[in-house]
Amino acid sequence: MNVQFKKGVLDLCVLSMLKNSDQYGYELANTLSEIIQISDGTVYPILRKLATDGMVTTYLQESQSGPPRKYYSLTGLGKKTLINLQQEWMTFSRSVNQIVGGDSK
Amino acid sequence: MTRQEYLSAIRKELSSLTESEVNDIVRDFDEHFEVGLSQGKTEHEISAELGDPVTVARTYFDDLEDVGHTMKESEEAAANGFAAGHAVPVIAPVSAGSDQTAGTAANPAPAGSAPQAATVKKDVSGARLFVVLFNVLLTWWVFLSIVGILLGFWAASIALLAGGIAAFIGIVAATGGWIAVLVLLGISGVTLGIGTGILNFFMTKWFVIGCKAYINWNIKLYNEGF
Repeated sequence: MNVQFKKGVLDLCVLSMLKNSDQYGYELANTLSEIIQISDGTVYPILRKLATDGMVTTYLQESQSGPPRKYYSLTGLGKKTLINLQQEWMTFSRSVNQIVGGDSK
Repeated sequence: MTRQEYLSAIRKELSSLTESEVNDIVRDFDEHFEVGLSQGKTEHEISAELGDPVTVARTYFDDLEDVGHTMKESEEAAANGFAAGHAVPVIAPVSAGSDQTAGTAANPAPAGSAPQAATVKKDVSGARLFVVLFNVLLTWWVFLSIVGILLGFWAASIALLAGGIAAFIGIVAATGGWIAVLVLLGISGVTLGIGTGILNFFMTKWFVIGCKAYINWNIKLYNEGF
């Protein structure tokens, strides 16, 4: 898929994935890379940026194997931003589909 | 690429960041390797999935370059606030403009977050004064005159139509030679009434369209200046 397409919506995707449960980096990277074909490594800079912007917080949690895992959790600001981004995305994608999907008529 | 090679490559590319930042980032990737290995993947497989370390590491610097874009976006959002119906405070003290710009740069707003303090681009007070004075002094009287003229036309149309219909009704009661004259009067009255009525309809319609355009123009001028 087009790189520029992905870049704009990755924040939205990551925030959406954290909506229902806290997740650690590997989970997020794995799910995201399977669905929209990005390389796993792309997720970490996004997570760091979201943390810097106050959208997510992190905490370490012990796991049964290996080192403690860093979990990411939505903040209040992150939840609000997610709602805004979701609405914007719905409106935007509907508009684009109207133009691009014009062959249905 | 092995785990150590990958982490070294990341570390090397990030050397301009502080040591604690670099350690933090490298730790994230180390954890990724650890989890991947525990799921039965090899170091090489995990490296390949992560993608080119140089490209990945450089993404950390994209944020710094993006500050400019973010500022532009928030300015656009402020400018479009009225049209898009967002609760962006377009009307804001002009003097605070430069301070707010600095604030935005230091603390880049993530696109789509709660509306940030609007960045006012230009002085709109002159435009506002113009809009108010122009409307009070001129528009009001022009508007009333046009409404008056249109009402007059409507009254004339209705009178012609009513006259024509009255003439027709008169025919029923009339006698002898008057019939021809009354029929003629009736037909011409009704025709004139309907004709001018259609004309009035379009004039009124155009007037309403013109008023709407004028009001929109006023709002735009008031909010955004000349």
